[in-house]
Amino acid sequence: MEAKKDNSGRITDWRSYERVLLPSIKDLHRLDVYEENGGYQALRKVLVSDDWTPAKVTDEVKASGLRGRGGAGFPTGLKWSFMPPVDPEVPRFICCNGDESEPGTFKDRQLLEYNPHSLFEGILLACYAISAGTAFLYIRGEFADWITHIEVELAKLYEKGYAGKNIMGSDFSVEIVIHKGAGAYICGEESSLMNSLEGERAYPRVKPPFPAQKGVWGYPTTINNVETLAAIPTILNKGGDWFASVGAERHPGPVLYGVSGHVNRPGVYEYPTGILITDLIYKVAGGIRNGKKLKAIVPGGSSTPILRADMIEGVRMDAESLKEAGSMMGTAGMLVMDEDTDIVGFLRRITHFYHHESCGQCTPCREGTGWLEDIVSRLERGEGHYRDLDLLTDLCTQMEGRTVCALADAAAWPVRYTVERFRDEFEARCRPSLVPAGISI
Amino acid sequence: MIELPTTSGDGHTSETFVPVFSNEELVFTTDETAQIERWKSHYPTVDGAIMRVLWLAQEKFGYLAPEVIRLSAEATGIPYAKAYGVATFYTQYFKKKKGKHVLDVCTCFTCQLCGGYDILHYLEEKLGIKSGETTSDGEFTIQQAECLGACDAAPMLQVTNGRYVMQLTPEKIDAMLDALRDGKSLEFESMTLPQDADEMGGNRRSDTQAVLETKAPPIAETIL
Ligand SMILES: Cc1cc2nc3c(=O)[nH]c(=O)nc-3n(C[C@H](O)[C@H](O)[C@H](O)COP(=O)(O)O)c2cc1C
Ligand code: SF4
Ligand code: FES
Repeated sequence: MEAKKDNSGRITDWRSYERVLLPSIKDLHRLDVYEENGGYQALRKVLVSDDWTPAKVTDEVKASGLRGRGGAGFPTGLKWSFMPPVDPEVPRFICCNGDESEPGTFKDRQLLEYNPHSLFEGILLACYAISAGTAFLYIRGEFADWITHIEVELAKLYEKGYAGKNIMGSDFSVEIVIHKGAGAYICGEESSLMNSLEGERAYPRVKPPFPAQKGVWGYPTTINNVETLAAIPTILNKGGDWFASVGAERHPGPVLYGVSGHVNRPGVYEYPTGILITDLIYKVAGGIRNGKKLKAIVPGGSSTPILRADMIEGVRMDAESLKEAGSMMGTAGMLVMDEDTDIVGFLRRITHFYHHESCGQCTPCREGTGWLEDIVSRLERGEGHYRDLDLLTDLCTQMEGRTVCALADAAAWPVRYTVERFRDEFEARCRPSLVPAGISI
Repeated sequence: MIELPTTSGDGHTSETFVPVFSNEELVFTTDETAQIERWKSHYPTVDGAIMRVLWLAQEKFGYLAPEVIRLSAEATGIPYAKAYGVATFYTQYFKKKKGKHVLDVCTCFTCQLCGGYDILHYLEEKLGIKSGETTSDGEFTIQQAECLGACDAAPMLQVTNGRYVMQLTPEKIDAMLDALRDGKSLEFESMTLPQDADEMGGNRRSDTQAVLETKAPPIAETIL
């Protein structure tokens, strides 16, 4: 079946869409099967042809409009072009971010399990484009089994001469090192990830300098998410133009949606960006469990602002549409909540997460995340007061934009917007104050 | 007796340190040392290898007692204080002895909404301990985990930093506890992509269990 195009020639119809990141090919995770299906052809093409200079590969990625899938949605080609000019004396690095710890996100795990070679090929192509000689693939420690899976495939890659010295007989060489994390959400933050690699405590670093100037061990470094890099072979095979014609115009391409929570068919789905949220819930993921009604969604991981059921009509899963609706695309890991969900208890668990994961370097984050948890817990127990709600908002303002990394913001947003959008439920838990004016409580 | 500053969990208290492992026990085998040397060559400086070495040490000794961290630091070639800083930064490195099987129940985000706490309470009742405790026979420790990146399988848990047990129900927990008590290893569970279920009738991988039996060596050549 040919993918249908809409009136402006774009591939937006999800029903006729054919998957490219996770195509339906049995045992695609094996090197031989991946190769039988056109795998490593993109790499071969750029290595063999003089035409395909590193700059041209970067240009193709720029033309594709690919935006990072790690959460921030930064244009990938542009990020690559931040790397300084090549100096043969100075080694250059790629770090692939497979820390995948944002609550509600599980797409990279499925990609590692079902199509690891698209990632390896993407890593190699990225190394070629930015002239990096080493790639660190940072995987969260909890994914121990998936690390074993991909180590087996990586060994085959080396055996076949597709990694290591003189890849495919060319003068292009790349070492791929898999680094196993050990349980810390903060390691997903790019500068924390670099400290973790370096064997330091994984504290985020002050930016600037940015990784392209001063990355791992002080050398120029580019950091990309697993799904971002796994999309590169497709861009090289089908062309940047094709990729740019898929889904939402300003946030194009195929994307892995991770739908979880109270739906009938949770899981990872590959569709063009810009799918209607209502289609994703009711048509793709089979609707709400047990015939219940929808209460709210969190579109892209725990830090993205919650949207009430009445806020999602006509809203699409792309950066622009979600921004207009008052949220963000994040990691496209969407949590669906039914009408029975206790929003206050839900927010309390989120505040616990960020309190637990704050690295403690910055006072607003270290103290603020603790305060958020304490106050929301108090509200959950029915021991809070109305003024706690304003205190929460105030705290969020004190935290946002005042710290070394964005974890403090990520902790503040869910509180700010959940309280704002479900104020009645929070108020219903508050106790009226019985203390006369002038006495501090 | 060596006197070493140590912590009792909160990172502040200093107490007299009594090593648990003897000097005879505190060695890496020739094979392990060779592996450590390979890891060290994978980073611009040896420091990068410390996380792998701590992992190896924890698998070997069960947990990272201060003397185990010291051994890891020495094998890596970095100061003890630095290795200690790394070991205490991450939740998966155990600083205290735990049960033979550590059950990390995800109660975060999706799992919370899909019954993660019910699973935790079921385990607490069944094993007669609270979250954070170890059974008196030393078999099981239960803990709460933050999102483990398998929300499609919620509620779920992880066994001793290894296997994920997906889509939990009380029956599944009973079976899991029995298997673990009998010393059986748990099967790896693939989560089928819903689109695969529609397009290719289910699971796409045919070799999952076999692959997990093999352990690939660290492959990269020396860098820099
Ligand atoms: C607190 C925090 C946690 C993050 N966690 C992850 C993560 O688990 N995986 C990831 O790919 N990016 C994560 N990011 C984003 C990375 O810092 C970085 O932007 C991203 O890996 C870049 O890749 P991309 O441009 O391909 O998206 C996190 C950022 C912050 C502030
Ligand atoms: S914002 Fe929080 S997590 Fe980020 S560096 Fe500061 S204290 Fe650490
Ligand atoms: S919330 Fe439990 S695995 Fe993500």
